[in-house]
Amino acid sequence: MRWWVGWCGLLLLGNGYAAVGQETDLDWLKTVAFAGHQTEYSGVFIYQYGNRVETSRITHLVEPDSEYERLESLDGPKREIVRHHGRVWCYLNHKMVQIDSQQGRAGFPSLLSDELSALNGNYVMKDLGLGSVAGYNVRVLLFQPQDNLRYAHKLWVHTDTGLLLKATVLDEKKQVVEQYAFTQLKVGGDFDRPSIMSGMPVGKEDIAQSKAAMNTTVAFNSGWVADAIPVGFKKLTEVQRPMRGKHAPVTQLVFSDGLSAISIFIEPVDADEDDMEGLSSRGAVNLYHKVVDKYLYTVVGEVPPRTVMQVLESIRYNGR
Amino acid sequence: MKNNISALMDGELFEDEAEALFDGLKRDSEAHRDWAAYHLIGDVLRQPEYIHRDISGRVRELMRNEPTVLAPRTRGISQKVRNIGLSAAASLMALGVVMWMSVQITPETTPQLAMQQTNLRPASLQTQSKSNDYLMAHQEFSPSNDMNGDASYIRTVSYSPEEKTQ
Repeated sequence: MRWWVGWCGLLLLGNGYAAVGQETDLDWLKTVAFAGHQTEYSGVFIYQYGNRVETSRITHLVEPDSEYERLESLDGPKREIVRHHGRVWCYLNHKMVQIDSQQGRAGFPSLLSDELSALNGNYVMKDLGLGSVAGYNVRVLLFQPQDNLRYAHKLWVHTDTGLLLKATVLDEKKQVVEQYAFTQLKVGGDFDRPSIMSGMPVGKEDIAQSKAAMNTTVAFNSGWVADAIPVGFKKLTEVQRPMRGKHAPVTQLVFSDGLSAISIFIEPVDADEDDMEGLSSRGAVNLYHKVVDKYLYTVVGEVPPRTVMQVLESIRYNGR
Repeated sequence: MKNNISALMDGELFEDEAEALFDGLKRDSEAHRDWAAYHLIGDVLRQPEYIHRDISGRVRELMRNEPTVLAPRTRGISQKVRNIGLSAAASLMALGVVMWMSVQITPETTPQLAMQQTNLRPASLQTQSKSNDYLMAHQEFSPSNDMNGDASYIRTVSYSPEEKTQ
């Protein structure tokens, strides 16, 4: 018995040493990102923020040239998002409509490793050891920010597959801002693809139309800058994009510190947008709108309210 | 007698003893009161939702002391009373509608913390659906996409405009 306790102590000690090396955690994150894209899984998870709790089903399938993801709400009215061939479809007004095209993330995983190396300076990473979620063995990782301009992230990573089984976003008072956790999960094995993918819009005109939409998003130097972007956020992209219900294209700048991103949107004021002004939130994401000199500024990010406000107030036109 | 009642309630009496006691209870009104009091004590100790207490006697007594109003009621007054009643009901209803509307309109999503910090007005319904577009555009580039996969879109799904128009 004494021998056994000693052995456990050694193991714990080993864990302690692993926690010292930050590379370990970075590797875990890479595993998470890789697993999220390359693993076929289907499961039910709960998402909670404030006093709301929702249950959703997620299905992720890997195809030779793309990924298929479907997110369905299991509570209340039918709500659904499908991501396929780099495009996003949403169930709106009783039909599936394309709402966005994805091209910015095509660079995975090289883009991601850049972001990951930036993490070191922005967060203190802690390996909290092993645990379990929904009956699966997980490793628990905590990313504590160095300042109060970003949230802390706690991740529960499946030790076998690298899938993220639980994640919480915590504010500076260690209160949970939002969290999600799988309650049931199936990894790999057989999936009934035809029935899962049924109802998908696959008409040729749909694809042609979305290709046209993709082409209208162009990278460029807008001349807009924000001086108060928190330290450690690096610019990922700067694009001009069409947006639903907007007459003029919208300028979008995206910054990331490795775990969270901040988007800045700048557009000429449309007719009735003075009602847009103000702060709102979606779980860990905060949105802040303000009209300045005939332009509508919007800042969106998985960062505390003070950060989106600080960033918005610092937006200025620097000239090209 | 009291001991017997207590024993009966605890189920400690034999059948013939219980029969005799029941007969006694029927005749002796004081014993009957004890029987009721013991049950009340037991009920209070068990803290149930409802407690049986016979208040008919007290009500009868109080009613006896109430003066009887013999003056005839005039039609005018009753009409007035009815009018006041109706208008009161109407304003109550209006209040109800206003409260119902505010419940419908107030976005429960307005962050408490953020509101305290800035005293900004809550986002309107239309803003909710407009915000979705910004959210989707942002999500596309966010690292949370790589971490959580599609699950990060839950923030958009959980606030679909469809749900809001209900």
